[in-house]
Amino acid sequence: MSEMRIKNATVYDPINGINGDLMDIAVKDGKIVDSVNGSAQTIDAGGRLVYPGGVDAHTHIAGSKVNVGRIMRPDDSRLNNKPRTKVTRPRTGYTVPNVYSMGYGYAEMGYTTAFEAAVPILKARHTHEELEEIPIIDKAGLTLFGSNWMVMDAIREDDLDRLAAYVAWGLLASRGWGIKIVNPGGGEAWGFGKNVSGLDDPVPNFEVTPRQIVRQLAEANEKLNLPHSIHLHCNNLGKPGNYETTLATFDVCKDIKSKRDRQSLHVTHVQFNAWGGNHWGDFESKSEPIADYLNKNDFLTIDMGQLVFGSATTMTADGPVQYANARLLKARWSNGDVELEDSSGVTPLEYHPQSYIHGIMWAIGLELALLTKDPWKVLMTTDHPNGGPYVNYPMVMTMLMSQKRREKEMAKIAEMTFERTSIAGIDRELDWYDIAIKTRAAHAKVQGIIELGKGHLGVGADADIAIYDIKPDETDATVEFDKVEAAFRHAAYTIKGGEIVVKDGEITATPKGRTYWVKATAPADGHERMMEDLKMKFKKYYSVNMANYMVEDEYVEHPVVFETGYQ
Amino acid sequence: MQTVTLVPKEQFKISVEAETITPDNFAGKSTDEIGALVAFEGNAPRPLSELFDIKVDGSADAADDVKIEINGNVNRVKRIGEAMTAGLIMINGDVDMRCGAKMKGGTITIKGNADSWVGQEMTGGEINVQGDANYYVGAGYRGEACGMRGGKITVFGNANDFVGEHMCGGEIVIKGNAGIMPGLSNKGGKIVIEGDTDMPGSEMTKGTIIVKGTVKDMMPVYQKEGIEAVDGVEFTKYVGDVVVDGVGELFVK
Repeated sequence: MSEMRIKNATVYDPINGINGDLMDIAVKDGKIVDSVNGSAQTIDAGGRLVYPGGVDAHTHIAGSKVNVGRIMRPDDSRLNNKPRTKVTRPRTGYTVPNVYSMGYGYAEMGYTTAFEAAVPILKARHTHEELEEIPIIDKAGLTLFGSNWMVMDAIREDDLDRLAAYVAWGLLASRGWGIKIVNPGGGEAWGFGKNVSGLDDPVPNFEVTPRQIVRQLAEANEKLNLPHSIHLHCNNLGKPGNYETTLATFDVCKDIKSKRDRQSLHVTHVQFNAWGGNHWGDFESKSEPIADYLNKNDFLTIDMGQLVFGSATTMTADGPVQYANARLLKARWSNGDVELEDSSGVTPLEYHPQSYIHGIMWAIGLELALLTKDPWKVLMTTDHPNGGPYVNYPMVMTMLMSQKRREKEMAKIAEMTFERTSIAGIDRELDWYDIAIKTRAAHAKVQGIIELGKGHLGVGADADIAIYDIKPDETDATVEFDKVEAAFRHAAYTIKGGEIVVKDGEITATPKGRTYWVKATAPADGHERMMEDLKMKFKKYYSVNMANYMVEDEYVEHPVVFETGYQ
Repeated sequence: MQTVTLVPKEQFKISVEAETITPDNFAGKSTDEIGALVAFEGNAPRPLSELFDIKVDGSADAADDVKIEINGNVNRVKRIGEAMTAGLIMINGDVDMRCGAKMKGGTITIKGNADSWVGQEMTGGEINVQGDANYYVGAGYRGEACGMRGGKITVFGNANDFVGEHMCGGEIVIKGNAGIMPGLSNKGGKIVIEGDTDMPGSEMTKGTIIVKGTVKDMMPVYQKEGIEAVDGVEFTKYVGDVVVDGVGELFVK
C-alpha cells in the first residue's frame, strides 16, 4: 500500500533516545518501518525539525460541559472564524471552538492525539458523539470516578474487588481510558451546596474521606493494571494556601507500586494547586515545595495547567470552585449535576496581566516546569480551555525555551507578581529535546500509549509525524522565539497514520481519528457484588435505565481496545 | 474628495453581509477595484459589482476624504460601515442590521429607518438615524461584555427595546420614545431619551440615563437621591441598580 520516505529530517524522539540526529524516516501502511523502496513518495525535510506527532494528555475538547461553554459564549464563537475550504468545514471559536475546529487546530500544530480529561459515564454517549466527529486526531476519554456513589459505597464497605469491578464496568460503560478524580468527594458534597475542605473531611452521607477515595482508586487502578495511573485534580483547587493539600495528596499514593513503566499518580493542572497565602491579599507562589517534592520522588507526574493571558472558559467537574469563581468575578455561571456521579460548572473569564493574581498564576505554571529537573515529570498543558486555549501551546513552548521570551511577557505583568514568585530569577531554558518530551513523549508515557505506537518514531509506531519549518542547528530558540513560535503554530507537515493531513500550515485531508478505550476484566465475585449494588442504584436513584446508559459500539466507530485485567 | 455612489441592482431577498462597504476600503480605489470587493449574499460570495451599480467621482488618499452615498433600498444589507475609521456614509433609505458596528470614527447618516444593532460596539464616530431604530441601539453582540464604548448615536424617531444594552461609554440620544429596558446592564456612557420609555437602567452598574418623557414603570431597584437640575430642567435623581451594587444615575421627571 502507501509508502513514504522523509529524508534529511532532524529528529528528536526522546522515547528512542534520538536527539537531533539527521536521518530518514520510512513509512508503510501508516506505520514506521525500517526502509521503503525507491519509488515511495519522498518529502525532503531539508534538515528541518521533526517530532513525533504531539500528544495532549489533558484537555477538554468534547462532552456536555464543552457544549455548555459554547452555548454560554456566543461572543467566543465570533472569534477565529474561518470559512470552509474544499477539505475543512467552517471554523469558529477561540476558547470553545466548534467540534471540527478542535481537530483542525491540533493538527495544524503537529498534534495527533488528545485526551478528553473528564467524562461522566452518564454523559459519555454525548462525549463519544463529539469525539467521533473531531477529525484527524486520535482521542480517548478519562472517566470520572471521584464523587461516584458506587465508588464511595464500595470504599466505605472496604470492598476493593467490588470497587475494581465497578471501575472496569465504568470504563466499559463510558468507553473510557482511565480513572479521573476531580476534587474527590467535593462533587457529591456540592449536591448539598457544600464542599470538602481537605483530605480528611468526610463526604456528607457517605462517611468516606477524599484520602480514602484517592488511595483506594489508586489501588484499584493497579489491581486492574490499567495503562494510565489515576489522574487527579486535587481538593481545594483555586483556593489560596492549597499547596499544603496538594503535597499531602501526593503522599497518599507514595507507596503505591505501579506494575507498568509509568507513574502511580498523575496530578493535573498543578498550577491551580500550588498556591500559597491565606487569602487573595497575601496570595503567592508555592511552586518551589511542589517542584522540590517532584525532584525527590519518582512515583508521580504532573502537568502544568499553564495560564495564558486573555480569554478563557473555565470548565470542570469541580462544581463548588466554579460557583466561587463566578461570584468572585461577577461572571456568568452554569452549574451541572450529574446525578450519582459528579457535579460540574462552567464560567467564562479573562486573565489580565495587570492583575497580580493572574500574574502569579502565570508564573507558577512556568516555575513548576522549570524548577522540576526531570522534564519527563511535568507535562506542558494549559488545561485547555481553563488556563487558556490549546492554540497557545506554541507560545508556552517558547516561554519554556527562552528566558528573553519570558522577560518580554513579564514586562506586561503587574510588578507585585515578582515579589511573590521566583520566575524572574529562573534562567533555565529548555532545548528541542526537552520540548519533545514535554509535548509528546512524556504525555505518551504518562498515558501508557507508547506500546500502542504513540508519541515516538520507533519501528512499528504509528506514522504520526510533525515537520516544523525550522532548522534546529541554525536557530537559537532563546533569541529567535518569534520564529520558533510561528513554526510550531503552523507545522510544515503533519502526517497522521502515514497520511499528509497538514501541509504548510493548511489542512489537506481530514481522516477520522481513532478512539482508545480500556477493556479490563474484574474478579468474578467482586463483579457480582458490584452488579447487585448497581442494579439497586439504577432502580432507586438514576433517571435513566441501565439499558439506555452504557455507550454502545455504534457510538465509537473507530475504536482501539486496550485489554488488561485484574491481577 | 472621492464620492462613491452605490445603487442596488435589485431588491435583495436574501440578506447581504456587506462589511466591505466602508470609506477605508473604498479610499483611492477605482470603480473596478471597488466592484471587485466581496460581499456575501446568503452563503455565496459575490463581488459588489454584481450587487450594486457603482459610480466613483474624484479620488482620495485617505478614508476621511471619502463619501459613500447609497441610493435605493438597502433594507436587506447588513454591516454597512463596519469598523470604519473615518469618512462619510449617506444612506438614503432604510438599512438592515448592524450598520456601523464596531465603527471607530467618521459619520453615518441614515435617512430612513435602521434595523437592530445600529452602532453595535462602536468606539467612536457618529451615527444619525433620521427615522426609527429597531432593537439594541448601540448594544453589544450576544454574550459580549461591552456594547457601545464611545462615539454618539442620535435617533430622531423612536427606538425599540434595549437601547444601549451593556453600554460602556459614548452617548445615545433618542428624540422619540424608546421601548422597554434602555440601558440594560450598562457600565458607563450616557443615554438621553426625550420621549417615553419603560423600566430603564436595570442592572446598571455605572453610567447615566436621562428620561425627559414619561417612565411608565420603574424597576424597584433604585434609591431616590433628591431633585437635581440637568441643563436647567429639574429631574428626580435615582441611583442604582442597588441589587448589583450599581452607582448608575437615573434622571426621571
